[in-house]
Amino acid sequence: MTAAEEDSTASPAAAAAGLSRATRFGAVGWLRWAWRQLTSMRTALILLFLLALASVPGSVLPQEGIDPAAVTQYYQSHPALAPVLNRLSLFSVFAAPWFAAIYILLFASLAGCVLPRTIRLVGSARQRPPRAPSNLARLPATASYTTDLTPGTALQSAAQLLGQRRFRLHTGDGWVSAEKGYLREVGNLLFHLALLALLFSVALGGIFGYKANRLLIVGQGFANTPTDLDVFRPGRLVGPGSLQPFSINLQNFHAQYVASGPEIDQPLSYNAGLNYQTRPGAPVRHYTLRVNHPLVVDGASVYLIGHGYAPVVKVTDGTGTVRWDGPVPFIPVDQSTMTSEGVIKVPDAKPAQLGFAGVFLPSAVNAGGTLESAFPSALNPRLSLIGFSGNLGMNSGQAQSVYQLDTQGLHQLRMVASPLAAGQSMTLPNGLGTVTYLGYQQWISLAITYDPGQLPALVSGFAALAGLILSFLVRRRRVFVRAAAAADGRTEVTLGGLARSDAAGGFEGEFTELAQMLRAQQAGTFGAGPKASQDPPGDAVEAETARAGADRHEVALTGPDGE
Amino acid sequence: MPINTAAADTSNGLLLSAVIIYAIAMLCYAFDFAFAKHRVLAGVHEPTGVAVPELVGASVGVPATIVGGSRPPAGMTAGQAVSRWPSGFWLRLAFALTCVGVAVHVTAIVTRGIAEDRVPWGNMYEFIAAFTCMAVLVFVAASIWYRAYYMGVFVLVPIVFGLGVDLTVLYTPAGSLVPALQSYWIAIHVTAMIVAIGLFIFGAVVTTLYLIADRSQRRVATGKPSWSAGIMRHLPGALILDRLAYRSILFGFPVWTFGVIAGAIWADHAWGRYWGLDPKETWSFITWVVYAMFLHARATAGWRGRRAGWIQLAGFVCLLFNVIGVNLFITGLHSYAGM
Repeated sequence: MTAAEEDSTASPAAAAAGLSRATRFGAVGWLRWAWRQLTSMRTALILLFLLALASVPGSVLPQEGIDPAAVTQYYQSHPALAPVLNRLSLFSVFAAPWFAAIYILLFASLAGCVLPRTIRLVGSARQRPPRAPSNLARLPATASYTTDLTPGTALQSAAQLLGQRRFRLHTGDGWVSAEKGYLREVGNLLFHLALLALLFSVALGGIFGYKANRLLIVGQGFANTPTDLDVFRPGRLVGPGSLQPFSINLQNFHAQYVASGPEIDQPLSYNAGLNYQTRPGAPVRHYTLRVNHPLVVDGASVYLIGHGYAPVVKVTDGTGTVRWDGPVPFIPVDQSTMTSEGVIKVPDAKPAQLGFAGVFLPSAVNAGGTLESAFPSALNPRLSLIGFSGNLGMNSGQAQSVYQLDTQGLHQLRMVASPLAAGQSMTLPNGLGTVTYLGYQQWISLAITYDPGQLPALVSGFAALAGLILSFLVRRRRVFVRAAAAADGRTEVTLGGLARSDAAGGFEGEFTELAQMLRAQQAGTFGAGPKASQDPPGDAVEAETARAGADRHEVALTGPDGE
Repeated sequence: MPINTAAADTSNGLLLSAVIIYAIAMLCYAFDFAFAKHRVLAGVHEPTGVAVPELVGASVGVPATIVGGSRPPAGMTAGQAVSRWPSGFWLRLAFALTCVGVAVHVTAIVTRGIAEDRVPWGNMYEFIAAFTCMAVLVFVAASIWYRAYYMGVFVLVPIVFGLGVDLTVLYTPAGSLVPALQSYWIAIHVTAMIVAIGLFIFGAVVTTLYLIADRSQRRVATGKPSWSAGIMRHLPGALILDRLAYRSILFGFPVWTFGVIAGAIWADHAWGRYWGLDPKETWSFITWVVYAMFLHARATAGWRGRRAGWIQLAGFVCLLFNVIGVNLFITGLHSYAGM
């Protein structure tokens, strides 16, 4: 992006012309100025900084798109602050307009700098290096020696050596100029263009992809249709018909935990045995779903992202009718012991609606009078229930969570809350019925994603990496050679070198090597090779002492680096 | 897979030994500064006035011994070259101890891996042990290639401190991996991050010295007193430090980029999305952006030098926060650091 700066400082005359035009065509002038500013490196640096800074709240504050429950919790604990933060989009930073503004500006800046440079690079593919400057001694790296060859022959052999080393050559009267390292610019542009491609890949996934979640109890199944999914977040151009028509049936689930030692309770493995069909009527296939081993069906992937217990409960109401008989998924509140909580709602119960808040303990032990779970496996499962009767509030029209009981219209039943073992029942007071704990099932939660931008993103990522490495490894450098007849009838050969992008150094070594080879080659033509080096100073090397090193090096560094 | 406790105990003992050896080496580097003046810089500055027979008069901005790339420059191979090895008793002892220390450190990590029958970077304790080892390896390599022996004491102070905290506060007994980490991607993603962090640590230490040297040089040049001038006599000029730091970032940045990409692929395998803006992901992105800023600043007139140096240190602060802060203060999908 220095290219733009180089342009603007290159010619005062051009700048002045631009200025006078700007005064005449105000709007165009301003636009040109704004575009220059936007595509300048300084702006890019500031935008990069803003991008990094703007990402910070996204990692510190809970985010709507990642953990909506945490956002709700934040609202409860900071009732005054939360609405302000929400207005500033700080709960969805990465979807915020100001965040989009930063990255759109950054990518506009990037495009505005990279695209013209790409065109220029294509144009320079057949361009010759510039003429050699008249005074090579002013270049950052210089060397000179004398030889018995004629100036023409000396230049010819210099051009030959540089050509062998794959320098691009341009020869003229008394000089050769050579340039090498165009791949650096190629790598640099590849990196920046790949970043643009990466952004488009992400957008592609957001438009044509979808994300979904499904909780599945062992023995149950579902089809991949919007109505059969718990959560369905389609991209902008995804219709119900674009979903892969597979169906999945959960056969079994096994979780294994460390049973002793310091890591007790830590999970070792999760295995979910699935039967699936790629489309209705297709043969049933089996797959063992594990973490890190998703099931891939027609480009959509199914992931195992959670698991839990679902106590099987039978509720008989006051009239003796069974109103609920089946598993109820409970949510683990403590991953290390899998103590889980959940609710059972029985709106059809007569004479009054019934609700239960329950705690499931997979490995219940008596700890000082209260029961708690000691291990995540179901070694001694117990279900503890608190009963409610009254109005569940399910007819109010408001959406309700299946995992929460709205106790507003309910009153708690007076009963002994003794945890039930499998097969045990509890009689509800006032003839409201009975509740029986029959046993437990396990459930898993699945994430289903389809992202057509995935492969393009991967390719872009690696292209960016390749471009980065290329631009770091290759340096662009120029070597100039001048040969002229000296007073003593011999030929004086002067070399000058300039690394256009050599911020990490290394060009000096190459230049020295080149100069040595050339000198050896040209002196060697006359068989004076061994003698030459012993013959100071006229015949051999006029060793230039390092002059004002640091500032001269800066000259090389400030050359257009093209980053 | 049961844990081999004998090997795990051996690993603990070896890591403790490595810290002690590093501490002694650190003292030896300090003694070299104190007693063997300027020896630490042997070969770093071009010996002025020495005839270098085969060196064509290449006038270069920086002493040839530093700029010559990974090979010793032409002048060095011919005759009275300054050795690439350290000179002086204390420096030799210090460097030998560093090499022994890093060998013991590597062995400690390998035995930990044998004890657990997996790559030994499954929690914070193992991760810190690994990237501190990488940082010392970077220093050893930089010493041999660029004669950066003068960095010894400055590199080892944070390493000894970090490993000390790791062994005491963060120690985690050998164990197995949670299912989320049971993937061959741990060997790819985490290894890349370890290599990059090692390089970034070295870069940050060198850059800190660069900023001090730069300030000192400017103050001395304008005739103002410089408190650090005494230390600076043992260090090469600001330009050499700046280049050394730049090289480590130039190497580290693509490795970090690769680590982030590998992490994204793994995230896709494990969680069903390659980028989900989990706090760890966000901070690795922030770190990447700040180091990218450093690289751009290095190539922009008016920003290179001190400003770029400060940006690089800001990048390192982001990195440290990502490695330590995110695990300690923020809950996310990467919260299996055993904290």
